[in-house]
Amino acid sequence: MSYVLESIISGLLLGGIYALLSVGFGLTWGTMKVLNISHAVFAVLGAFFAYWLFVKAGIDPILSLPLLAAVMFFVGAIVYKLVILPVTKAKDIVMASMVATFGAATVVENLMSLFWRPDPRVLKPPYTSRSLFIGDITISKGPLIGFAISLCAIALLYWFLHRTYTGKGVQATWQNPIGAALVGINPERVSLVTFGLSIASAGAAGVAMAMIYAFYPSVHSVWTLFVFLVTIVGGVGSVIGSGLAGLLIGFIIGVSAAFLPFAWVNVLLFALLLIVLLFRPEGLFAG
Amino acid sequence: MTGHLEAAKTDYRRFRGKLIFVLVMALLVAFPLVRPPLFFLTLLFSVFMYAALTQSWNLLGGYTGYVSLGHIAFFATGAYTTAVCMSRYGLSPFATSILGGVFAGILAIVVGYPVLRLKGAYFTISSLLLAVVMQLVFLNWEFVGSSTGLWYKLMPLSIEANRTIFYETMLILAMVITLIVRYVEQSRFGAGLMAIREDEDVAKTMGINTPWLKMKAFVLGAFLAGVVGGIYGFYMSYVHPDMTFSMNTSLLILLMSFFGGCRTWGGPLLGAVVLSLANQLIVTFIGAEISRILYGLLLVVVIIFMPDGALQYAKGLTRRG
Amino acid sequence: MKKILGIVLLGCFGLVLAVSSGLAQTAKTGEPAGEPIKIGGSLPVTGMASEQGKWVKAAYECWAEDVNKRGGLLGRPVKLIIYDDESNAEKAVTYYERAITVDKADLVFGGYPGTSNVALMPVMEKYKKVFVGQGGHGKSFEQGFTYTFGAPPLMGEWSGISVASVFDLIPKQNWPKTAAILTMNNVIGLSATPNIVKAFEDHGVKVAVNEVYNLPLSDATPLVSKAKGHGAEFLVVQGFFDDTVMIVRESKAQRYEPKVIWNIIASQVPAWFKEMGPDADYVLANIWLPGGLPYPGNDRIVEAAKRKLNMSPPPTYFGLGYCWMYTLEQGIKGAGSLDDTKIRDYLRSRPFDLPFGKGVKFDSRGLPPPFNFTVQSRAGKNEIVWPKDVAQAKFMYPRPAWSK
Repeated sequence: MSYVLESIISGLLLGGIYALLSVGFGLTWGTMKVLNISHAVFAVLGAFFAYWLFVKAGIDPILSLPLLAAVMFFVGAIVYKLVILPVTKAKDIVMASMVATFGAATVVENLMSLFWRPDPRVLKPPYTSRSLFIGDITISKGPLIGFAISLCAIALLYWFLHRTYTGKGVQATWQNPIGAALVGINPERVSLVTFGLSIASAGAAGVAMAMIYAFYPSVHSVWTLFVFLVTIVGGVGSVIGSGLAGLLIGFIIGVSAAFLPFAWVNVLLFALLLIVLLFRPEGLFAG
Repeated sequence: MTGHLEAAKTDYRRFRGKLIFVLVMALLVAFPLVRPPLFFLTLLFSVFMYAALTQSWNLLGGYTGYVSLGHIAFFATGAYTTAVCMSRYGLSPFATSILGGVFAGILAIVVGYPVLRLKGAYFTISSLLLAVVMQLVFLNWEFVGSSTGLWYKLMPLSIEANRTIFYETMLILAMVITLIVRYVEQSRFGAGLMAIREDEDVAKTMGINTPWLKMKAFVLGAFLAGVVGGIYGFYMSYVHPDMTFSMNTSLLILLMSFFGGCRTWGGPLLGAVVLSLANQLIVTFIGAEISRILYGLLLVVVIIFMPDGALQYAKGLTRRG
Repeated sequence: MKKILGIVLLGCFGLVLAVSSGLAQTAKTGEPAGEPIKIGGSLPVTGMASEQGKWVKAAYECWAEDVNKRGGLLGRPVKLIIYDDESNAEKAVTYYERAITVDKADLVFGGYPGTSNVALMPVMEKYKKVFVGQGGHGKSFEQGFTYTFGAPPLMGEWSGISVASVFDLIPKQNWPKTAAILTMNNVIGLSATPNIVKAFEDHGVKVAVNEVYNLPLSDATPLVSKAKGHGAEFLVVQGFFDDTVMIVRESKAQRYEPKVIWNIIASQVPAWFKEMGPDADYVLANIWLPGGLPYPGNDRIVEAAKRKLNMSPPPTYFGLGYCWMYTLEQGIKGAGSLDDTKIRDYLRSRPFDLPFGKGVKFDSRGLPPPFNFTVQSRAGKNEIVWPKDVAQAKFMYPRPAWSK
């Protein structure tokens, strides 16, 4: 029966990584009403960057994270200027942002596919093929490290939002855009920073995902489903909510994988999402 | 005096419009008679199919503004219905595609009741989930062939005859669906739908039964998509969750409607014809990735610069010019 | 400004349309007569099946070279048109149809893998193109298609023969008692499982774990945990290359030591030994064309692999691909024509000596009689351990423990 416990632990670790993947998405939705369907594609992009750095230059993915985050922030800023900013001027921001970011996602995915081929890849620094043995329980190091990355990144994000001046500006804009503008906070600058951070967190999440999952350009559409799952269950815009939702979902994955045929685990998850959408769309952990 | 002139002009325009329509239809129907290369029959089949699908989606998506990303689920329901009916009971798909549409309609009722109460992004995500969950379920459901898929019996005809039959069938389907959509648009039903798009709460206070209208549009669109799917499955002679539930199709339908302009029946038609022709040709001769990159760029550009669609945009140009 | 931009964009699209139609025109008219025989289709050059697909492609190209060196077919040179379907069945159908209707290929080559072939078989039947390759597994051969030939087919249903063979090689008191079966959720994997389960039941083995996973496999941890948790001594992995690698790696990471690891594809791909290093050895696989069989055609395969790839013995998927084309070649030569129906009728009319067996007779479904070989990986090679009369090595049982 130790495998049940192992399954639950494995699920929780995975859930933490899903949380990091989703937190940026919730942030942009909450602050700008922008539904960034391309969020996960930047996670894949981040995974590819870390992959090439590792394979061509031997740089360990963990070490490449700071550089990666900076580059992805910059990418986010560009995408913001080109796609998001124009879209926020539309009548129906939610729809327009969905369609536009979907277009952006398609472009990025196929550029990756064109240049780097659709073959699946795994990020395999040597420590990922070893495990931690605690008594009867085996914990693979890959998910453990991915979880550690996520924990740090989410903590950093939380600290930024609640302890720094710019971060508080982001929160203020979200809670009261007009009031914030009146106080002199530049909404465009806040949005730019928010979006940049969102994409940077996506990139980091991509590295964490790549430690356990095989990735390839079109996998972002699968990851996007999990982003929806975590964000809606956790409540849009809440960092803590995303974190808790991620753990809850991870727990459900772990328990169901131990007892159900694996093929049905995802069905269960999406059915859960549907139920939350129908009965408590504001999320289980909102506020 | 001028009143009579204006009326005469409108009558003439209407007559001219109908004449053009009849001429174009006649040409299209007669096209196979000149024994064109098979490639063109295949190409036009997919154009007609996208035209039909886009129109069926636009009933809800364009007129009410409830953007569904799960339309493929209804299409697949139709395809699987004809597949099961043929492989298990030997029934002809031309007949059972109507049944496929009915099942799709029933699915729309069952799903629509809870889901149409959601707004905006929540509705869209739910509709996407419908398609995803359905695909996962079908991948593991023995009755529909799980991950092996189902085959249809082949028609004992030459490939030319085969392709011609499907060409004509899909042409007629596309035409009928377009006429239905046009009729809806010009009816009170259609006016009600567009009122929902403008402002649903205001429409409600005006006494419009919005849940009923939304459901009608959703179910009708689903039924039509199911019929199209039923025929498509037979055309491919094979259904499989990975092929028949292609998310790519869902997105293309969206793009075509937005590109052409989702407020009128002409928009999706224009979008479907132009974009599916371009898609097929670019994919065949240049490459799949390039095609999709162009599509993505187009989506971004259209939504930013031409939010009402190319048709409206072009009309706007001619009016000013 | 917006107006101009809009016009420019629409204009660009029109231009693309026009250019594409222009290209369509040229493809339509084709080249003058008396030119090469075109054999077209698509293969998974990229994507999930690319590790096997690239060897099939190499084999097809080598075959074409060899044939042209010997004076071509029916006096004409052979030219291959190979598209990349990215391991996607829908794309495979599109490319094959393109090869037939646009490129006007005279013949088509067998596709890979099975998941694409199930969708292709009805298409070939409609266009009446003889389709010599692996076919689409089990049920696809029961649909009444007459133009497909499995030469050899990669019939999952026959895998049970290989699993049962393991018990033939070890004394009864040492037989494994429990099994875990991990299968990818597609027709390739699923077609094999029932007969494998039966093979286990026939030998008193309890199937403790029988899991199906969706591709692509995201995380092997829960699968391996379950197998290890139930103490399964016989591990069956039915996956493509990447997922099998993940599962075996994870087994080592968790120090799960089954007595037998049996897989279907991964260990037969050259990259297996590179990827797994010392952990690649002593894994069993079932094969329909191991290297070094004493049947006709194998000499050409071995020679081509050595000459073009500098590899000996030839990689499995290279051998299979070459065999499929070799069989088509016999059909063309025997029928004396490029007419698909004539070739089909010829292939069904008599027994053939092919690389995988002597006196092979295709039945009405296009299948040879059931057969299977079992190989074990060792020192960079796969060696036949069963059937005993062609065995190249002794079966190592139980599997040695994982290296540190």
